[in-house]
Amino acid sequence: MNSSLLTFSSDAYLVAFFLYCLGFISYGITIAGARYTKRDPKAYMKRWGRISYVISLLGFVSHVAFFFTRWIGGGHIPTSNMYEFISFLAMMIMLAFVVVHAIYRKAVIGLFTLPLIVIIVAYSMVFPQEVQPLIPALQSYWLKIHVTTAALGEAFFAVGFATALLQLLRVVDFREKSPRARRSQRWVEIVMIVGVIMIGYLVSVFGFRAAGYEAVFVQENVTITDAGVDNTETDEVVYSLPPIFKPFNSQVQEIDSFIGLKDGVFETPHWMKGVDAARKLNTIIWSIIAGLVVYAIIRLILRKPIGAVLHPFTRGIDPDDLDEISYRTIAIGYPLFTLGALVFAMIWAYEAWSRFWGWDPKEVWALITWLYYTAYLHLRLSRGWHGEKSAWLAVIGFIVVMFTLVGVNLVLVGLHSYAGV
Amino acid sequence: MLSFQNTKCECGHQNPVGTVLCESCGKPLEEAEAASTAPLEMRYDGAARRSQKTNPSIIDRVWNFFSSVKIAVWLIVITLIASMIGTIFTQESAFISFDPDTYYEEKYGWIGKLYYELGFSHTYETWWFTTLIVMIATSLVVCSLDRVLPLYKALSKQQVRKHVQFLKRQRTVYEGAVVGDAEEWVAEVEQQLKRKRYKVKREGTALLAEKNRFSRWGPYINHIGLIVFLLAVLLRSVPGWAMDSYLAIREGETLQIPETNYYLKNEKFTLDYYADDELPDELKGIPRPKLYQTDAILYECTADCDDPLKEPVLEEVSQHGIIVNDPMAYGGLKIYQFGYDDTPKLAAVKPVLVDKTTGKTYGPFELSMRNPQLNYELGPYTLELHSKYLDFAMDEKGEPRTKSDEPNAPAFIFMLKGPGLAEDGEPYMYFPRQIDKEKFSQDAINGDLANRFEIKVPSMEGVTFAGTVSTLNIRTEMAMPYIWTGTAIWIFGVFLGSYWHHRRIWLRIDEGRVLLGAHTNKNFHGMRADVASVLKKTGIDVEPKSLDNGGNRA
Repeated sequence: MNSSLLTFSSDAYLVAFFLYCLGFISYGITIAGARYTKRDPKAYMKRWGRISYVISLLGFVSHVAFFFTRWIGGGHIPTSNMYEFISFLAMMIMLAFVVVHAIYRKAVIGLFTLPLIVIIVAYSMVFPQEVQPLIPALQSYWLKIHVTTAALGEAFFAVGFATALLQLLRVVDFREKSPRARRSQRWVEIVMIVGVIMIGYLVSVFGFRAAGYEAVFVQENVTITDAGVDNTETDEVVYSLPPIFKPFNSQVQEIDSFIGLKDGVFETPHWMKGVDAARKLNTIIWSIIAGLVVYAIIRLILRKPIGAVLHPFTRGIDPDDLDEISYRTIAIGYPLFTLGALVFAMIWAYEAWSRFWGWDPKEVWALITWLYYTAYLHLRLSRGWHGEKSAWLAVIGFIVVMFTLVGVNLVLVGLHSYAGV
Repeated sequence: MLSFQNTKCECGHQNPVGTVLCESCGKPLEEAEAASTAPLEMRYDGAARRSQKTNPSIIDRVWNFFSSVKIAVWLIVITLIASMIGTIFTQESAFISFDPDTYYEEKYGWIGKLYYELGFSHTYETWWFTTLIVMIATSLVVCSLDRVLPLYKALSKQQVRKHVQFLKRQRTVYEGAVVGDAEEWVAEVEQQLKRKRYKVKREGTALLAEKNRFSRWGPYINHIGLIVFLLAVLLRSVPGWAMDSYLAIREGETLQIPETNYYLKNEKFTLDYYADDELPDELKGIPRPKLYQTDAILYECTADCDDPLKEPVLEEVSQHGIIVNDPMAYGGLKIYQFGYDDTPKLAAVKPVLVDKTTGKTYGPFELSMRNPQLNYELGPYTLELHSKYLDFAMDEKGEPRTKSDEPNAPAFIFMLKGPGLAEDGEPYMYFPRQIDKEKFSQDAINGDLANRFEIKVPSMEGVTFAGTVSTLNIRTEMAMPYIWTGTAIWIFGVFLGSYWHHRRIWLRIDEGRVLLGAHTNKNFHGMRADVASVLKKTGIDVEPKSLDNGGNRA
């Protein structure tokens, strides 16, 4: 391991993160400014669209530098744990954006793709960042082929999602009062809230991390062995967020002060086995609370749903263009996903685990994602689902993708657990 | 939908029942379609599908059911939801030995019990899940056949001059005056299209340009691939086509591979861990395997294979260092590194017998865990082996038993005979491992005898440990070539259908005005760009977007 190279690598990643943030802001100026500018909005969009694209592209260059220096410095392709994989996914989303941008040359694609990349890059930083040497199961050239192709396919789904979300903001009429329109408005707002909760999660994790917060709990588990002897095992868990929920039947060992909290507020129900489940529950509750607080503040300032505020800015965009871009992006991603997440996965599984398919949760969820997008394509091609319906499918599809990538590792158990935290 | 019977088009062509657009000139025939002005439904080029028969018989009805894409999507969605449910709790197949009757309830409570009772603990092996897969396979076959034949026919006999309605109601349309001589202009358009690698047919001032027709077969090719794949999976259930067994071999041992004529020797097992300087700070001190490898030799038995009295005659056929990503392969047999057990296990000890009253020691004697002698003569005393437990435990009744064949907690009961002891000997229980001796209270079991005698290991000298056990997975998968063939066809079709687009441009000139219609199965953006570029080069400047006639965005 080459530590100076790895230090450079982390710095490059940070630079990429800030450039992506800047790119997002710039895209915001592009779209919002075009509405208010006194000059020709088309020329304005073109000029600012180019500036935003160049900034984002610089972010991508920095991101690529991070990737390859980490590869050389760490000795293996950086796609082997959660931190590496998620940062790689963000890089692939940026690559997919570059490809789609080359085809359609529309600045609007960047408006939602860049913030998505920013969130995903920030999310990757939640996980431990050290280079971990590969365990024997991962020592194969298939790690390079399978993971990268699958991630690229998923990245196109992500860009399709970002465009579909923009399309929904464009086509859902926030002034209309019919029950159908209201339902659409409500669901768009729920997607916005989910986004804010994600930000709430990141804010609380990084906030408490910067403050160096820590609380330690010890849980005692008594089991009776075959020999009839009591066997007491203690599990220790470190919380990096203040304990709203502490593990079932556990004692505080050490707790930093936070608004006078001396112990967990609630105890996790007994059926949530293990101290890690309690820690994860606590994190989820924290994210929701923090997210809702942020959301409440936003609502107080805006005095309108977020969707209703964003909608007017999208009026200049042709919804049919968004529909086409979202669909085409998914259609580009589908073969890549099939190849990477199913075909290459089967070949590797056959070589490493002696069977091409084993109904492991990760495998099943890759299949679920594939079935989902297969249904999407059939509904669109043969049943004529397009416009709002298809956009909703693209949005839900990305939730399925994210569960496959992250949810399975954090919630379900299986052979892919090495990718976990 | 099939209310009209007169299927003869005004151009004189006789169309089959169910035809949406005349097979010859493209005029909309179906009543609803003919009355509308919206862009045409161009799916399968408006040809009649097999499923669109009048007076369907029972077979037709079954065919029609499976030919519906709506049904196909429902099947996909139901399979998707079923697959999701199957990932809620760990499936039975993930365990090697456990009792599902109690496991799910103990681990997850009533909901786990319900999950188990409903059969979700083996979702993917249930009859209804298999039925779903079979239905999807049927749907794949029927849907494809229902559409590919009419589509093939329609595409192979295309007319150049299409009906005005057909052109006007395409999704990409251009209408305008011709600049200069009509014939010359069409010839110029032909040149430009050919430069874009279109195949062009002309009939006077009417023109048909087409490219990448092959991409239309993509979906059908990928469906064929999936069918081959699913059939290959079915083949795995043919006896002898799929074998799956495990072999735990200790270093140095040779074992027969069950149900075969092969023997496998674990020549050497290597286990390497990462050194601390290779690990990041947070992982230092935690063993992290770097490599585990079984150097194995495969033998084939050539004679005396089934004779229990003779040693089988073995002939070496293959040698390989088996690691996780590199199995041994020989004649349809594949041997994979599955796991290992490196917990140190005693092979033999050299204890002595101590007479506590005199302080005299007798021995030492060699005590092998697996092959102990039945009698040990130690000075005036004799140890007679009464019983042996390799993995000692007590059952519910308090009777001693052994949990496994591995020397995890070896225990011996000797009958101690000699001066001052009962004629038949007195039982003495001996645990060679200090930890077991305390755990199972050896002295308490031996009672009074423990005060007079002790068997103990005076030093580590002579204590030997057994080699690491390597667990190997032995597989035969005769269906693999077919599975990979199906997969290859499938992915080829997916790429063919997704990354190439079938584009067609029709054009006719009537009284100095050009009418152009264009159609593609995917990517209308690219289609419009092609048309605009050709028009531009022939003197007509249009914005690509202005060619958009709306309609189905498939």
